[in-house]
Amino acid sequence: MENPKNQGKQKGQPNQNDAAFFNNKISRLQFFFLIVQTQIGVGVISLPYNLQQVAKQDGWISLIGASLIVQLIMFLHWLLMKNTPKQHLFMNLENILGRWIGKASTLLYSLYFIAVGALILILYTRIINLWMLINTPKWVLMAFMVAAGLYLISGTIKVLARAYTLFSGLMIILIVSLVYGIRDAHLIFIFPMGVEGLEPILKGVNEGILSLLGFAFVLIIYPLVEGTNKEKLKTIFYTQWFVLGFYLLVVFSTFTFFGAKEILLVPQPVLYMLKAYEFSVVERLDLFFISVWVVSVTTSFTTYLYMSGKGLKHMFNSKREMPFMIMMAIVAFILALTIGSGEQRIDQYGDVVMKFGYLFSGSLPVILLLVLFVRKKKHTGSGSK
Amino acid sequence: MGYRRRKSRRDKLIEEQPGNEADVKEPSQPSFSQLSQNIEYLTKALKHSNDLKIRILQDGQAALLFFETLSDQEKLQANIFTPIESGNFDSISKLPNGKKTDDLEEALKVLLRGHALYIEEGNKSLVYFTVTTTYNRNVKEPDNEKVVRGSHEGFVENIMININLIRKRLEHRDLTIKYFRVGKKTNTNIAIAYMDGITNPELVKEIKKRIKSVTADTILSPGFMEEFIEDNPMSPFPQTLSTERPDRVIANVMSGKVALLAEGSPTVLILPSTFFMFYQSPDDYNSRWVSGTFIRIIRLMSFLIAIGLPAMYIAIIGFHFEVIPDDLVSPVKSAIEQIAYPPFVEAFIMVIIIELIREAGIRLPQPVGQTIGIVGGLVIGDAVIRAGLISNLMVIVVALTAIASFVVPSHELSTTLRFLTFPLIILASTLGFIGIVFGIMFILIHLVKLESFGNPYFAPVSPLRIKDLKDTFVRLPLFKLTNRPNDANPINEKSMGESREWKRSGKSKKSRQTKGTTQPK
Repeated sequence: MENPKNQGKQKGQPNQNDAAFFNNKISRLQFFFLIVQTQIGVGVISLPYNLQQVAKQDGWISLIGASLIVQLIMFLHWLLMKNTPKQHLFMNLENILGRWIGKASTLLYSLYFIAVGALILILYTRIINLWMLINTPKWVLMAFMVAAGLYLISGTIKVLARAYTLFSGLMIILIVSLVYGIRDAHLIFIFPMGVEGLEPILKGVNEGILSLLGFAFVLIIYPLVEGTNKEKLKTIFYTQWFVLGFYLLVVFSTFTFFGAKEILLVPQPVLYMLKAYEFSVVERLDLFFISVWVVSVTTSFTTYLYMSGKGLKHMFNSKREMPFMIMMAIVAFILALTIGSGEQRIDQYGDVVMKFGYLFSGSLPVILLLVLFVRKKKHTGSGSK
Repeated sequence: MGYRRRKSRRDKLIEEQPGNEADVKEPSQPSFSQLSQNIEYLTKALKHSNDLKIRILQDGQAALLFFETLSDQEKLQANIFTPIESGNFDSISKLPNGKKTDDLEEALKVLLRGHALYIEEGNKSLVYFTVTTTYNRNVKEPDNEKVVRGSHEGFVENIMININLIRKRLEHRDLTIKYFRVGKKTNTNIAIAYMDGITNPELVKEIKKRIKSVTADTILSPGFMEEFIEDNPMSPFPQTLSTERPDRVIANVMSGKVALLAEGSPTVLILPSTFFMFYQSPDDYNSRWVSGTFIRIIRLMSFLIAIGLPAMYIAIIGFHFEVIPDDLVSPVKSAIEQIAYPPFVEAFIMVIIIELIREAGIRLPQPVGQTIGIVGGLVIGDAVIRAGLISNLMVIVVALTAIASFVVPSHELSTTLRFLTFPLIILASTLGFIGIVFGIMFILIHLVKLESFGNPYFAPVSPLRIKDLKDTFVRLPLFKLTNRPNDANPINEKSMGESREWKRSGKSKKSRQTKGTTQPK
């Protein structure tokens, strides 16, 4: 399957500093949960609101469209990884783009990842301050999350995989509480379909993709996953279908609960919906939902922290990982604190970071793939002479 | 860890020396031919201890040395003097039950083991006889691991009797016992027991390596060994299961684990251990599987109650009062309104009081201990509520927590649970639910990271091994547990074949018969 010449070429590359990294093996189930836990995070709570704003009741169509696009991008990612065995993203950058451009883009990647990490911190503290702990200073909440992330990372990638798989058990609670919401569904709220035309739906696709970001993690852990390329591709598609299913559940339950007009009044529709329910044993299901959701957020944050620290480590060609992780954690912490709490600033910052998401998660890996193919063609062309 | 890969199947990797290599490097001193020189050397080496007895025989031509505190006078008589008196042998050195040595250092060692040493003038070879005295108690049921059904035997302080208890239950040639001597001064005899052909040889190798690298002067009990050989001594969680029950040891040895026994202690360590092993009790297997499963689920729920209940209560009272349903609001409110202290202080006082009562109850003789329990539990509990120091709800919560922590069948883990309540209480009183979530997340991450002899501690939940879940949260019928748990990476995974064929084949035969016309009416 793989081009033997290509392999030989890559074997010469210095990658000793990552030998320990490649010693780990991840099962496909763990791979599945690593991706799912990274993708599902902060977005859950405000996704229906964002979709409703641009796409009205057709938001769920946008979401499916977004997922299809992400699946296409991930297929291209897979092509790239398939053709560069035993290489993760940062190695590819150097091997394909050349040393200095590679190093520069690695740095940019690291900065992008940590910028996302900071955004996650900001959004999470905003929700907590709004719903649970009104007076708790932001830095305390952030410090806890950063500490949890660092503690998770301090093991090997295997620990990360195991922990994510374990935490995924908690998602059952999220799913059950959302399914409970379907009881009061009014299907009428998602009709009429498509009357607004195609434009709002396409705008909604943008929002949808933003909530699906995080799939770039595949580019780093792909070489560690056990199994053939085909099996791994299957797993990648399974993750996307799972995430799509979960988000559709979120969107459906809230859309059909509130209706188009109401949802624009509640920026956190999921929480408002759960708040309305009463049980004889406990009330305020939303508080429990947030508690479980914090775990999902932590895993997303940890992944970004991990990726950015890993990039920095690779740039400096260092053997040790933790110093860079700690450095990046501090960067995220300070960045999140300086952006502060102004709604507008947060939104602006979020917009900018998400735009870069298209560049780093979508375009750049595809460019890498193109360059690789062009070179390969040249190579085989000259070889046949 | 290296040995988790099973590439070296059952090769002769571990065919090393059976233990006493540490002794090889010890100094040796060839014996002298003169009797007085020999005796002088030995008494000097033993610092002229008063309990070393020297009996001069044959008019000063020979001597018998022994520790009167270690040797049994009757055995001395039966093994040495009775055969001589019967006239069959003319000299003690020619007795068939004597062992010979010509090394004075070795002679020292056997003397300290309770043997009697016979030295003759003009003869370099020293003869020693086993006359060791032992004081044993009965193999009665251990107090801290009682079961309702099943064996009521327990280990004792003598390692030989303990190994005997194991061998009696496991009559198979693959049961392997290896001796080690650890503790430079105490020279403690320890042994490991495992099933060759089931246990992973790499695991055995790793355990031997760790045992041999212990250089401490004093090794008194397996508890000492535990701290020297476990993976992460900083962790609050015990990483080796300790038990005093032979049946529990057998069950674990048969699933590919290694048992570590030590002279002078009835406690046996099981290596490696997983978190869920601490929640398995022999009772689960002795009773029917449905009730065994039920009890085990109750036990695992007690884990959540033990570490989370006080924290949850404090978080709800302090931060999220809105979680309480309407009907409960007024009783809860009236209970906590009159209390002067914040719930955090309340909980802290109560938890400490419970710990005090428990510790006092253990240390005192039993009748007094019970009194303390009643005085502490009932009188203090009641008075503290009446005095308005602590709300009655808090007393309920803390008492429930304490009870839940005692449900664990392992004393170590129970202590760990009660200890872990404190950080969670602190977190809950500062950040409410969010604090609890982060606290539990930290505990879970720690559990996931932890390894016991290279095997994941939180298995089979993380890493997820669905096959092994058969005997984790539930206990399926024994004939369904066809594979050994993967905790210790056994090289022989299958533990049974088809055992209930008669049911299936009987059925099919019946159906065939009913189809045919030969059925008599």
